[in-house]
Amino acid sequence: MRTFALSLLLALPSFAAAYDRGELAEFNDLYRAGQYQEALAGYEVFIIAEPENPWAYYNAGNALFRLNRVGPAVHRYAQAFMLEPRAEDIRANLNFAMRQTGQSLVPEDAPAALHYIYYVLSEVELKALALLLFWAFCLAAAACFLLDGGRWSVLTGKGAAGAALLLVLTLSWYAARQSSPFSGAGVVTRPGGTRMLSGPGDNFKTYASAPEGRLVKILDTGDEAYYEIGLQKEGIKGWALKSDIEKL
Amino acid sequence: MNSPCRPLILAAALAASLCAPAAAVLNIAADTDRNTVEIDGNLYLTVTVSGDSANVPEPDLPNMQNFNVYSSGRSQSISIINGRITTSVSFTYILTPRFLGPQTIPPIAVSTGKEKAVTPEIKINVVKATARPQPKARPARRPARPSRADRAEAERGEQLFLKAETDRKSAYPGEQINLSVKFYTAVPLSSNPQYMPPSFKNIISEDLPPARNGETDINGVRYSYSEIKSALFALAPGTAEIRPATVVAQVASTDPIDPFDPNFFQKMLAGSAAQGRSVNLATDLVRLTIKPFPAGAPKGFNGAVGDYLVTASADRAEPKAGEAVNFSITVSGRGNLKAVTAPKFPDLPDFKVFDTMSSLDVNKKGDVITGKKTFTYILVPRSEGKKTVPPIKFTFFDPKAGVYRTRATGPVTLKVKEGAPGAKSVNFGMPGAAPVKASGSDIRYASDETSGGTPALLASSVLELPWWIHSVPAALLALCFWLARFNRFKLANPLLFRFRRARSEADRDIAKAEGLLKSGKRREAVSVLYDSFLDYLSDKCGAKISALPMRKALDLIKSRFPSVQDVSLSSIRALWETLELHRYSPGAAGGEGAAELVKKYRRLLMILEKELKK
Repeated sequence: MRTFALSLLLALPSFAAAYDRGELAEFNDLYRAGQYQEALAGYEVFIIAEPENPWAYYNAGNALFRLNRVGPAVHRYAQAFMLEPRAEDIRANLNFAMRQTGQSLVPEDAPAALHYIYYVLSEVELKALALLLFWAFCLAAAACFLLDGGRWSVLTGKGAAGAALLLVLTLSWYAARQSSPFSGAGVVTRPGGTRMLSGPGDNFKTYASAPEGRLVKILDTGDEAYYEIGLQKEGIKGWALKSDIEKL
Repeated sequence: MNSPCRPLILAAALAASLCAPAAAVLNIAADTDRNTVEIDGNLYLTVTVSGDSANVPEPDLPNMQNFNVYSSGRSQSISIINGRITTSVSFTYILTPRFLGPQTIPPIAVSTGKEKAVTPEIKINVVKATARPQPKARPARRPARPSRADRAEAERGEQLFLKAETDRKSAYPGEQINLSVKFYTAVPLSSNPQYMPPSFKNIISEDLPPARNGETDINGVRYSYSEIKSALFALAPGTAEIRPATVVAQVASTDPIDPFDPNFFQKMLAGSAAQGRSVNLATDLVRLTIKPFPAGAPKGFNGAVGDYLVTASADRAEPKAGEAVNFSITVSGRGNLKAVTAPKFPDLPDFKVFDTMSSLDVNKKGDVITGKKTFTYILVPRSEGKKTVPPIKFTFFDPKAGVYRTRATGPVTLKVKEGAPGAKSVNFGMPGAAPVKASGSDIRYASDETSGGTPALLASSVLELPWWIHSVPAALLALCFWLARFNRFKLANPLLFRFRRARSEADRDIAKAEGLLKSGKRREAVSVLYDSFLDYLSDKCGAKISALPMRKALDLIKSRFPSVQDVSLSSIRALWETLELHRYSPGAAGGEGAAELVKKYRRLLMILEKELKK
């Protein structure tokens, strides 16, 4: 039974790889041949078929970058990064594309190792980890109550306390990640950047502009045509057309 | 430069390149075959540009007023060792001096846009021509026989004239046509003439240096001549034109200065008599007919014209799977190799094929453009075994025969060995070699991954579970918590639980006694009833009633349950005595049956349950 479960666990990724490897190779051949527009069309189909697959976003980002569309490329790379933050290639290309737009994946004043640890798990993985720790805490605490007074009760009690501590840490980590530049954020995808207005409408004054490829915080999505966005580094916020910004 | 310092300079350059391999990616060096040249001689200038990419830029030759400069070809070599590319291109120029005395070849620069390299300037000493003794038996170089047109010019009594002639009047596109521009003079010149080459229509040209000089007799007049040759290649069928070439010559003047000339003193001071007069000469326009290629060009013909051979080779015969092999296709022969494009490379499912690089060696010996062009591919065998690159065809048009020809390489077979674990990609690093130098940066290549990692997939699977599943452990925890609390309460309050359980215990005992009565065991049944009754009272009172005398027991009941009625106490007493009598003196018990006792006990229990309450 244990062997079966292990085999199932190991086979899980191959089951999930439902997308036809041959088709992906075809898109990659187009990319290799310099037919980036055609390759991009293929990768976009790939994204629709497997929205949880980070490599679909990554490859689309590559094609967009080759087409000199840095903003959309940053958007796709950022999506890939949010799904698979440990992948070296994704990190490298996101950083490369961000540097083209005057940004950096690792802030200059942050140690790279700490930044890596901070993003070592994706938000989906953090949520799943929190759920698993919740299960572990409940089961260990239940066992502790059931075995009340026995030697095993102490051990399971300690297990439950450990799981609870880890759960609190994970939830704190998840909460902290909500303030990261990639959470609740968007990317300016309009060539040449977007105007930041002092209100949601053309009758308001333009008082700043966000360049193409810039990661922005989306503060308000209530308006039909405008997002309220914030630039953390500069400490300014304003309203920008929704069509100029792609949400992450 | 044949200076004694040359070996030292070379050694220093070599040492510098070994000590500081990361110093520069782009290098340029210039050298001449001599540093002293006669005014009527030539010298070769070789400029070598090397870099670590497949293409290196051409050097930017400075304006050299003191030399006529002719391109004499280029030679390129590309080496790929373990994926590291080194390209070296040598550009050769022929320089003919124009002035006597020390001259300078200025610094020659090359730039990629990001990097720039410059040569130091080179000093050249130009000396007067030495008088050469005329060999009697056989001249070293026979003067060119003047053409009919040259003779016609001479017949017109011209002392200086310029002629442009081609070796043919019609050709196919890409076929070599030699152009000769000859400058004849029968009078001494005060300085080297200035030559302006012709411009062309529908033609590209290639210099055929060096310039030839000599003397010839035309119609009895002794002429000195200079000849500059070019190889021309037409671009498309139709008409091609060679527009006039010009020469500006300074002819020594023999006219005396008129002493009555109003400008006499200016002329004297300017030395116009010594400088002579300026003569402008130009060639006639030459038209050529460019024939179209014959019909029926085979598939794969890309416009190569000439006579070529094609060969293929790999840099190793027994590579490992996953290791890079340099595979070269060389096209060699006569023709404009600059215009030759790579033959179509077949699809090779056994190999990963990486981009092409080409190198070119051009030779102009005998005024014929020959050489070889090598196209290098990087092949990475996908798996071990015997792998063959099939023959590669190259089609060209042979203008001499007027036919298309297709030549093919031989098949190249590689015996691919099993690759090292993990050798799936080309290794562009060399262990123990020079450190890797970053010459630029780019995004990483597209990924073949078709899914995310296992943790991400597991996480998605966990989050896709219905929400109520995650409430199961919480419910389990709550249940276990309640159970633990209940157990603790039970342990802490045993009398309470005995009190609550007393009735159910008594009912169970009554059922047991009835069973015994049915099986005819009357005494056992009475014994069960007796014990049950005392246990019931004990559970209710929280004290062992059987250890107390009846009166004290009744007092205890009264004190514990003040609301109990005297009738009930009397009933307790009566039942107790009856049960004692039946148990210990069955003979004296009279006729009351055990079944009656059971009924009495049950009725009493019903009363006591109402009265014995806390």
